[in-house]
Amino acid sequence: MYDWLLFLHLLAAFLIAVTAVTYSAVALGAATGRPAIRVADACWNVGGIGTLVLGIWLAIYVEGYEVWDGWILGAIVLWLVATGTGERARTELAAGRGAAAVHWVRTLAVLGLLVLMVWKPGA
Amino acid sequence: MTLFAAIRPDEWNLPLFLHVLAAMVLVGTLVLVAVSLAGASQGGSVGAVRLGFRGLLLAALPSWIVMRVTAEWLASEENLDEDPPGWVDAGYMISETTLLLLIAATVCAGVAARRAGRVEAGGGGTGRAGAGGGGLGRAVVVLVGIALVAYVVAIWLMATKPS
Repeated sequence: MYDWLLFLHLLAAFLIAVTAVTYSAVALGAATGRPAIRVADACWNVGGIGTLVLGIWLAIYVEGYEVWDGWILGAIVLWLVATGTGERARTELAAGRGAAAVHWVRTLAVLGLLVLMVWKPGA
Repeated sequence: MTLFAAIRPDEWNLPLFLHVLAAMVLVGTLVLVAVSLAGASQGGSVGAVRLGFRGLLLAALPSWIVMRVTAEWLASEENLDEDPPGWVDAGYMISETTLLLLIAATVCAGVAARRAGRVEAGGGGTGRAGAGGGGLGRAVVVLVGIALVAYVVAIWLMATKPS
Protein backbone atom coordinates (compact mmCIF):
# COMPACT_ATOMS: atom_id res chain seq x y z
CA MET A 1 0.00 0.00 0.00
CA TYR A 2 2.75 2.46 1.04
CA ASP A 3 4.76 1.63 -2.11
CA TRP A 4 1.84 2.33 -4.43
CA LEU A 5 0.90 5.55 -2.63
CA LEU A 6 4.49 6.78 -2.90
CA PHE A 7 4.75 5.74 -6.57
CA LEU A 8 1.53 7.54 -7.53
CA HIS A 9 2.52 10.59 -5.42
CA LEU A 10 5.87 10.72 -7.25
CA LEU A 11 4.19 10.23 -10.63
CA ALA A 12 1.87 13.16 -9.87
CA ALA A 13 4.93 15.26 -8.97
CA PHE A 14 6.48 14.39 -12.34
CA LEU A 15 3.29 15.63 -14.06
CA ILE A 16 3.76 18.95 -12.26
CA ALA A 17 7.33 18.98 -13.61
CA VAL A 18 5.92 18.71 -17.16
CA THR A 19 3.96 21.92 -16.53
CA ALA A 20 6.94 23.71 -14.97
CA VAL A 21 9.23 22.76 -17.86
CA THR A 22 6.70 23.73 -20.57
CA TYR A 23 5.89 27.11 -19.01
CA SER A 24 9.62 27.72 -18.45
CA ALA A 25 10.17 27.14 -22.17
CA VAL A 26 7.40 29.69 -22.90
CA ALA A 27 8.92 32.16 -20.42
CA LEU A 28 12.30 31.75 -22.12
CA GLY A 29 10.72 32.60 -25.49
CA ALA A 30 10.28 29.15 -27.06
CA ALA A 31 7.49 28.60 -29.58
CA THR A 32 5.76 25.72 -27.79
CA GLY A 33 2.42 25.98 -29.55
CA ARG A 34 -1.09 25.43 -28.16
CA PRO A 35 -0.97 21.58 -27.90
CA ALA A 36 2.02 21.70 -25.54
CA ILE A 37 0.30 24.32 -23.34
CA ARG A 38 -2.90 22.23 -23.27
CA VAL A 39 -0.93 19.15 -22.21
CA ALA A 40 0.96 21.18 -19.58
CA ASP A 41 -2.29 22.54 -18.13
CA ALA A 42 -3.83 19.04 -18.05
CA CYS A 43 -0.70 17.72 -16.30
CA TRP A 44 -1.03 20.48 -13.71
CA ASN A 45 -4.68 19.60 -13.06
CA VAL A 46 -3.97 15.89 -12.56
CA GLY A 47 -0.57 16.32 -10.91
CA GLY A 48 -1.76 19.07 -8.58
CA ILE A 49 -4.72 17.09 -7.23
CA GLY A 50 -2.64 13.88 -7.20
CA THR A 51 0.23 15.32 -5.15
CA LEU A 52 -2.13 16.91 -2.62
CA VAL A 53 -4.53 13.99 -2.11
CA LEU A 54 -1.86 11.27 -2.16
CA GLY A 55 0.49 13.40 -0.05
CA ILE A 56 -2.14 13.85 2.68
CA TRP A 57 -3.02 10.14 2.40
CA LEU A 58 0.69 9.29 2.91
CA ALA A 59 0.93 11.66 5.88
CA ILE A 60 -2.00 9.86 7.52
CA TYR A 61 -0.75 6.38 6.56
CA VAL A 62 2.93 6.63 7.55
CA GLU A 63 3.68 6.23 11.26
CA GLY A 64 5.79 9.15 12.42
CA TYR A 65 4.12 11.72 10.13
CA GLU A 66 1.12 13.86 11.03
CA VAL A 67 -0.80 16.15 8.67
CA TRP A 68 -0.14 19.05 11.09
CA ASP A 69 3.68 18.56 11.02
CA GLY A 70 5.38 21.85 10.13
CA TRP A 71 6.95 20.59 6.91
CA ILE A 72 3.62 19.14 5.70
CA LEU A 73 1.72 22.36 6.51
CA GLY A 74 4.52 24.28 4.75
CA ALA A 75 4.12 22.01 1.73
CA ILE A 76 0.36 22.64 1.66
CA VAL A 77 0.97 26.42 1.77
CA LEU A 78 3.52 26.14 -1.08
CA TRP A 79 1.05 23.97 -3.01
CA LEU A 80 -1.59 26.71 -2.63
CA VAL A 81 0.92 29.36 -3.79
CA ALA A 82 1.89 27.20 -6.79
CA THR A 83 -1.77 26.57 -7.68
CA GLY A 84 -2.73 30.25 -7.36
CA THR A 85 0.19 31.55 -9.40
CA GLY A 86 -0.23 28.71 -11.88
CA GLU A 87 -3.85 29.68 -12.47
CA ARG A 88 -2.78 33.28 -13.02
CA ALA A 89 -0.02 32.20 -15.42
CA ARG A 90 -2.58 30.17 -17.35
CA THR A 91 -5.10 33.03 -17.69
CA GLU A 92 -2.44 35.60 -18.56
CA LEU A 93 -1.00 33.33 -21.24
CA ALA A 94 -4.49 32.64 -22.64
CA ALA A 95 -5.10 36.41 -22.76
CA GLY A 96 -1.90 36.86 -24.77
CA ARG A 97 -0.06 38.65 -21.98
CA GLY A 98 3.38 37.74 -20.65
CA ALA A 99 3.16 35.20 -17.85
CA ALA A 100 6.88 34.90 -17.12
CA ALA A 101 7.06 36.61 -13.72
CA VAL A 102 4.11 34.74 -12.23
CA HIS A 103 5.39 31.48 -13.74
CA TRP A 104 8.80 31.82 -12.06
CA VAL A 105 7.04 32.35 -8.72
CA ARG A 106 5.17 29.08 -9.31
CA THR A 107 8.41 27.32 -10.29
CA LEU A 108 10.08 28.52 -7.08
CA ALA A 109 7.11 27.22 -5.09
CA VAL A 110 7.41 23.82 -6.82
CA LEU A 111 11.15 23.79 -6.09
CA GLY A 112 10.38 24.62 -2.46
CA LEU A 113 7.93 21.71 -2.35
CA LEU A 114 10.65 19.35 -3.56
CA VAL A 115 13.08 20.70 -0.92
CA LEU A 116 10.47 20.07 1.81
CA MET A 117 9.67 16.58 0.52
CA VAL A 118 13.36 15.57 0.55
CA TRP A 119 14.65 17.28 3.72
CA LYS A 120 11.40 17.02 5.74
CA PRO A 121 12.59 19.58 8.32
CA GLY A 122 11.38 18.69 11.81
CA ALA A 123 10.29 15.16 10.87
CA MET B 1 7.93 -0.68 7.78
CA THR B 2 6.15 2.61 7.16
CA LEU B 3 8.07 4.29 9.99
CA PHE B 4 11.36 3.00 8.56
CA ALA B 5 10.39 4.45 5.20
CA ALA B 6 10.14 7.90 6.78
CA ILE B 7 13.69 7.87 8.17
CA ARG B 8 16.69 8.78 5.99
CA PRO B 9 20.21 9.97 6.92
CA ASP B 10 20.78 13.70 6.24
CA GLU B 11 23.79 12.95 3.99
CA TRP B 12 21.48 11.39 1.41
CA ASN B 13 19.29 14.48 1.04
CA LEU B 14 21.37 16.63 -1.34
CA PRO B 15 22.11 13.87 -3.88
CA LEU B 16 18.48 12.69 -3.62
CA PHE B 17 17.18 16.23 -4.21
CA LEU B 18 19.43 16.71 -7.26
CA HIS B 19 18.59 13.22 -8.55
CA VAL B 20 14.82 13.76 -8.36
CA LEU B 21 15.09 17.33 -9.72
CA ALA B 22 17.15 16.19 -12.72
CA ALA B 23 14.77 13.29 -13.35
CA MET B 24 11.80 15.68 -13.23
CA VAL B 25 13.42 18.12 -15.69
CA LEU B 26 14.32 15.17 -17.94
CA VAL B 27 10.78 13.74 -17.99
CA GLY B 28 9.20 17.21 -18.29
CA THR B 29 11.43 18.04 -21.24
CA LEU B 30 10.74 14.74 -22.98
CA VAL B 31 6.98 15.23 -22.72
CA LEU B 32 7.36 18.77 -24.12
CA VAL B 33 9.56 17.49 -26.97
CA ALA B 34 7.15 14.65 -27.82
CA VAL B 35 4.08 16.90 -27.82
CA SER B 36 5.84 19.64 -29.81
CA LEU B 37 7.13 17.27 -32.48
CA ALA B 38 3.86 15.35 -32.67
CA GLY B 39 2.12 18.69 -33.26
CA ALA B 40 4.80 19.78 -35.73
CA SER B 41 4.41 16.66 -37.86
CA GLN B 42 0.72 17.54 -38.24
CA GLY B 43 0.90 21.30 -38.49
CA GLY B 44 4.29 21.87 -40.10
CA SER B 45 5.74 24.26 -37.50
CA VAL B 46 9.49 24.86 -37.89
CA GLY B 47 9.64 26.47 -34.43
CA ALA B 48 8.30 23.30 -32.81
CA VAL B 49 10.93 21.15 -34.55
CA ARG B 50 13.67 23.50 -33.35
CA LEU B 51 12.20 23.42 -29.84
CA GLY B 52 12.33 19.62 -29.93
CA PHE B 53 16.00 19.61 -30.91
CA ARG B 54 17.03 22.31 -28.42
CA GLY B 55 15.01 20.69 -25.66
CA LEU B 56 16.80 17.37 -26.17
CA LEU B 57 20.26 18.91 -26.55
CA LEU B 58 20.15 21.65 -23.91
CA ALA B 59 17.79 20.19 -21.30
CA ALA B 60 17.24 16.43 -21.66
CA LEU B 61 20.84 15.29 -22.13
CA PRO B 62 22.32 17.54 -19.37
CA SER B 63 19.49 16.41 -17.04
CA TRP B 64 20.27 12.79 -17.83
CA ILE B 65 23.92 13.39 -16.87
CA VAL B 66 22.98 15.04 -13.54
CA MET B 67 20.41 12.30 -12.86
CA ARG B 68 23.00 9.57 -13.52
CA VAL B 69 25.89 11.20 -11.59
CA THR B 70 23.66 11.78 -8.55
CA ALA B 71 22.41 8.18 -8.82
CA GLU B 72 26.03 7.02 -8.44
CA TRP B 73 26.50 9.48 -5.56
CA LEU B 74 23.39 8.13 -3.81
CA ALA B 75 24.42 4.52 -4.36
CA SER B 76 27.80 5.33 -2.84
CA GLU B 77 26.21 7.07 0.19
CA GLU B 78 23.86 4.13 0.72
CA ASN B 79 26.71 1.59 0.22
CA LEU B 80 24.80 0.05 -2.66
CA ASP B 81 27.65 0.35 -5.16
CA GLU B 82 29.52 -2.80 -4.05
CA ASP B 83 26.68 -5.28 -4.43
CA PRO B 84 23.73 -3.37 -5.87
CA PRO B 85 20.23 -4.83 -5.37
CA GLY B 86 18.08 -5.70 -8.35
CA TRP B 87 16.13 -2.43 -8.40
CA VAL B 88 19.39 -0.41 -8.58
CA ASP B 89 20.72 -2.60 -11.41
CA ALA B 90 17.42 -2.23 -13.25
CA GLY B 91 17.61 1.55 -12.79
CA TYR B 92 21.11 1.63 -14.27
CA MET B 93 19.99 -0.54 -17.18
CA ILE B 94 17.04 1.75 -17.91
CA SER B 95 19.19 4.89 -17.70
CA GLU B 96 21.87 3.49 -20.02
CA THR B 97 19.38 2.20 -22.58
CA THR B 98 17.46 5.46 -22.60
CA LEU B 99 20.69 7.43 -23.06
CA LEU B 100 21.12 5.66 -26.40
CA LEU B 101 17.51 6.51 -27.27
CA LEU B 102 18.06 10.15 -26.29
CA ILE B 103 21.23 10.43 -28.37
CA ALA B 104 19.47 8.90 -31.38
CA ALA B 105 16.47 11.20 -30.85
CA THR B 106 18.74 14.26 -30.57
CA VAL B 107 20.54 13.40 -33.83
CA CYS B 108 17.21 12.81 -35.62
CA ALA B 109 15.76 16.05 -34.22
CA GLY B 110 18.89 17.96 -35.25
CA VAL B 111 18.67 16.70 -38.83
CA ALA B 112 14.90 17.38 -38.87
CA ALA B 113 15.46 20.93 -37.58
CA ARG B 114 18.13 21.53 -40.22
CA ARG B 115 15.86 20.27 -43.00
CA ALA B 116 12.93 22.27 -41.65
CA GLY B 117 15.13 25.38 -41.64
CA ARG B 118 16.03 24.80 -45.28
CA VAL B 119 12.36 24.31 -46.18
CA GLU B 120 11.52 27.56 -44.39
CA ALA B 121 14.37 29.42 -46.11
CA GLY B 122 13.22 28.05 -49.47
CA GLY B 123 9.67 29.33 -48.92
CA GLY B 124 8.23 25.94 -47.89
CA GLY B 125 8.65 24.52 -51.37
CA THR B 126 9.01 20.90 -50.25
CA GLY B 127 5.75 20.97 -48.36
CA ARG B 128 4.46 20.78 -44.81
CA ALA B 129 5.97 17.40 -43.95
CA GLY B 130 9.46 18.85 -44.38
CA ALA B 131 8.74 21.96 -42.33
CA GLY B 132 7.28 19.85 -39.54
CA GLY B 133 10.14 17.39 -39.33
CA GLY B 134 8.52 14.65 -41.46
CA GLY B 135 9.54 11.06 -40.79
CA LEU B 136 12.47 12.09 -38.61
CA GLY B 137 10.13 14.09 -36.40
CA ARG B 138 7.90 11.06 -36.01
CA ALA B 139 10.96 8.91 -35.23
CA VAL B 140 11.88 11.32 -32.43
CA VAL B 141 8.35 11.08 -31.01
CA VAL B 142 8.60 7.26 -30.99
CA LEU B 143 12.10 7.22 -29.41
CA VAL B 144 11.11 9.76 -26.76
CA GLY B 145 7.84 7.89 -26.12
CA ILE B 146 9.76 4.64 -25.46
CA ALA B 147 12.12 6.51 -23.11
CA LEU B 148 9.15 7.98 -21.23
CA VAL B 149 7.58 4.55 -20.71
CA ALA B 150 10.95 3.29 -19.42
CA TYR B 151 11.15 6.25 -17.01
CA VAL B 152 7.70 5.47 -15.58
CA VAL B 153 9.01 1.95 -14.87
CA ALA B 154 12.14 3.52 -13.30
CA ILE B 155 10.00 5.78 -11.09
CA TRP B 156 8.07 2.70 -9.96
CA LEU B 157 11.35 0.88 -9.22
CA MET B 158 12.77 3.81 -7.24
CA ALA B 159 9.53 4.26 -5.26
CA THR B 160 8.82 0.61 -4.45
CA LYS B 161 12.41 -0.77 -4.40
CA PRO B 162 11.31 -4.38 -5.10
CA SER B 163 13.91 -6.85 -3.81
